[in-house]
Amino acid sequence: MRVVASILALLVVAWARADDLAARIAAAAPGDTFEVGPGVYTGPVRVERPLRLVGRGRPVIDGRGAHDIVTIAAEHVEIRGFVIRHSGDDLDHESAAVRVLAGHAIVEDNIIEDALFGIDLKAAPDSVIRGNVVGGKALDIARRGDGLRLWRSDRTLVEGNTFRDGRDAILWYSSDVLVRGNVVDRCRYGLHLMYSDRVTLEDNDLTRNSVGVYFMYSNQLTLTNNRLLRNRGPSGYGVGLKESGNYRIEGNLIAGNRVGVYFDGSPFAPGGEALLTGNTIAVNDVGLALLPSVGGNTFTGNSFVDNLEQLAVLGRGNASRNAFALNDRGNFWSDYVGYDQDGDGIGDFEHEPAHLVESLLDREPKAKLLLFSPAEQAIEFVGRALPFTRPDPKFRDPAPLMRPPAVAATKHGRPASLALAAAALAAVGGLIVAGARLGPKESTP
Amino acid sequence: MTSFRNVAALARRELRDALAARWFILYTIAFAVLGLAVSYVSAASAGDAGLSGLGRTTAGLVNIVLLIIPLMALTAGAASVASDRERGMLAYLLALPVARWEVLLAKFVGLGLALVASICLGLGACAAVVAVQGGGASAGAIAWLAGLSVFLAIAMLALGLLVSTAARKASAAVGVCIFLWFSLVFLTDLGLLAGAIAFRLPIERLFAAALGSPLQVFKMWTLLASDATLDVLGPVGVYASETFGGRLHALFAASLAAWVIVPLALAVLTLSRRSAV
Amino acid sequence: MIDLSHLSMRFRRSVAVNDLSVNIPEGTAVALWGANGAGKTTILRCILGLLRYRGEIRVGGIDARRHGTKVRRLIGYVPQELGFYDDLRVGEAVHLVARLKGLRAANTGEALERVGLPGEQRKRIRELSGGMKQRLALALALLGDPPILLLDEVTASLDAHGREALMQLLGRLSGTGRTILFASHREDEVMALADRVAVLDHGRLVATHAASELVDRLGHGATLHLRTAPDRATSALDALRRSGFVATLNGVGIIVPVPNGQKGAPFRVLAEARIAVEDFDLVQTAHREAQP
Repeated sequence: MRVVASILALLVVAWARADDLAARIAAAAPGDTFEVGPGVYTGPVRVERPLRLVGRGRPVIDGRGAHDIVTIAAEHVEIRGFVIRHSGDDLDHESAAVRVLAGHAIVEDNIIEDALFGIDLKAAPDSVIRGNVVGGKALDIARRGDGLRLWRSDRTLVEGNTFRDGRDAILWYSSDVLVRGNVVDRCRYGLHLMYSDRVTLEDNDLTRNSVGVYFMYSNQLTLTNNRLLRNRGPSGYGVGLKESGNYRIEGNLIAGNRVGVYFDGSPFAPGGEALLTGNTIAVNDVGLALLPSVGGNTFTGNSFVDNLEQLAVLGRGNASRNAFALNDRGNFWSDYVGYDQDGDGIGDFEHEPAHLVESLLDREPKAKLLLFSPAEQAIEFVGRALPFTRPDPKFRDPAPLMRPPAVAATKHGRPASLALAAAALAAVGGLIVAGARLGPKESTP
Repeated sequence: MTSFRNVAALARRELRDALAARWFILYTIAFAVLGLAVSYVSAASAGDAGLSGLGRTTAGLVNIVLLIIPLMALTAGAASVASDRERGMLAYLLALPVARWEVLLAKFVGLGLALVASICLGLGACAAVVAVQGGGASAGAIAWLAGLSVFLAIAMLALGLLVSTAARKASAAVGVCIFLWFSLVFLTDLGLLAGAIAFRLPIERLFAAALGSPLQVFKMWTLLASDATLDVLGPVGVYASETFGGRLHALFAASLAAWVIVPLALAVLTLSRRSAV
Repeated sequence: MIDLSHLSMRFRRSVAVNDLSVNIPEGTAVALWGANGAGKTTILRCILGLLRYRGEIRVGGIDARRHGTKVRRLIGYVPQELGFYDDLRVGEAVHLVARLKGLRAANTGEALERVGLPGEQRKRIRELSGGMKQRLALALALLGDPPILLLDEVTASLDAHGREALMQLLGRLSGTGRTILFASHREDEVMALADRVAVLDHGRLVATHAASELVDRLGHGATLHLRTAPDRATSALDALRRSGFVATLNGVGIIVPVPNGQKGAPFRVLAEARIAVEDFDLVQTAHREAQP
């Protein structure tokens, strides 16, 4: 009976393709699977009973710029396989492509384009947001909406989505959420947690945002095996931690950001874990940036490679209230100058970096103009040669590692084009030399 | 037409002489060896695998270029006219139906080409090492670096030639140029540092001052080319990026071009007003 | 062909040429005669535009100051010592100079043949002897057959043998219609090459006369080479000049042409001035007519 009804419904919809999709959906029976064939349908669409809405051949639901496009107002609604595009751009109304107002929703495999808010969950726990591609509106960052917003939607799974050109992918008061394998690119905050506890973020790519991951007022967080690259907006943190606690940040590649990891009042309260381990924090302008009051973090087994400034204290003071080793295992520092005579993989001297240039730059950021110039090295040299000019060390790693632990880097160098560049340069140089030697007539009288 | 032929003939001569000269070979080897060391070390180090932007390799090479190329170009320019004058060769050349500016331009072109060859061979070797090691800088960054190094080199060459035409002796010219090199590499930067820290110069002044230094311009331009922004240079860089945006390229080009044209024009003027013996 | 009028040239501290006017007609060979420092070389360099001067120089009617390149196209110049790219092979040097003179193609073999350097094309300049270098310089000067030759003490740094060979080549050049202006303080060279002599002293033109008169003025017979204590050389020179001798100073001593019958006169002059002669040499000078 149910099967017949489904087929019937399908037929009707296919026949009435340009007809009002919303009316058909409103007429469907609870629990139906509603298949929609290719074509362009006009939103808005409101689903008020449990339904499976399945697009075949990528049907398009066009919001024509009027506020929301698809609203899910009943539990156990699934929507998949659609292109949903052109929401309103009214930030006060928070126009969204997909608005979910009830739990157990599944939003999967949709392409959302030109949306102010992409997918907006409000009190929709136990939902699944998977495999969607969400593109924002070409607006100034202040006028954009969030690619994804979870509001009081606990136990939601966010997996394999791509968000581009939006504001944030943000979790408000949503706990026990798993965010896995997503890409957030060119947004404001890649993944932004507000008052959300027991959240796990793993294997996400957060690139070219203002901030990769920003934890605020959240606890019991796991951030593992993510790649946070080139987040260089006005804040420019790979990871930002504001008054959050009990977190484990492990195995991430944090590179090319303005600041690798930024600590502001985190961990917030004593007790619980605040551990960073096995991360590669490389070629950021600043590796770690801490407000002076920050204490209680533990860093072990991380690689700090060629950050212009490995660690910065933003204000007077030092980072000594944090631990830079655990169980006699510190971190790898590319600027460590000691050696390992006993061959146990741990440097024989503590790592107590005191860079004259760094302390100058901390005091006078304008002087950063001189970075990458021989004068910088000259000053550093003076700092090494004349101990009395040495500034106080900002931190102390009692057991620096001699080799970087397993590197989380993704290898996507371009040796082929580099080889081409090498060949081209050699050819130019060679041509000049050969041209001069085998000049016409003159050399062969 | 005659001028072009004269310049071409003399320039080829200068180029051949330069390529066979000890200073050229030593500088090229020094440049290549230091560059290779930087490339090898940074390509071998972890964490830099395929990260775009200003890789450690490029940053290291920028430093090598800043140290060696100006010294090489300045001394090459310094030695040329003055030592010709000392040997009587300048008088002999100028007794031929050749204009003085032609002789100077030929030296500029010939020595300039020798510098191009040196830079290309050195950086080419570095690029090869990085390519073999599979990581580090991008091909585009290396290409930019090579092009801008050439620009810097010919600016310094023009300055060296100016000193050379004004100097009485080759040794004096080389001495002056080594002092110039030291000033440009260290004293100017330390001056900027003092400006930033001691005198609390506003950022737009600091940037304007940096625009006057060919080495700083080279460095900023390399950063800009590989990063599309200067914000890695702190407030001054952010100011420059925000204020000038895409026009920074033109600004840097104008500054370096001035460092080529003004000394060269002054050198022509000096040579044509001075006696040739 | 070469007109100098009111030519003056000062170095920082001294006057090298002082208001000198002279006209060198086409086809004549004129020797600039005078001691070191008389201004001979300076005059040649002014004509070549190597020095800044006051007054006017016209070569073939062209103002040398304004149109230096044009003027130099008319001139072949042989310096006292050839300073050129040392690494260059002889053949390459010929090619390069030919190009700079705007010649389409140079017959290298012929150019070198002319100065007795055939088969030396592959040699590098720095491998040549002094004499060969000067012959090469002459070959380079003659490229393009310029109507004017300027020779600046071309034999001064050569040994007797090299001088002999070069003089033979130069001898063949006189009377070929070229205008030749050369600086020399060797009487034999003047006699061999010059039609006229312009006698210079401290940058001033003292006299011009036919070359044959030089011999008369200097006396027919000989040149006396005198050596005194080094610190007395200048006063010796003054004493001799006061007595009417055309005495000059070279690196070794004083050179005084003496008429026959008065070869001892300089000794008397010096004895009266209480200057001791430490050594002397007497060189018989040949007459121009005696040359082939």
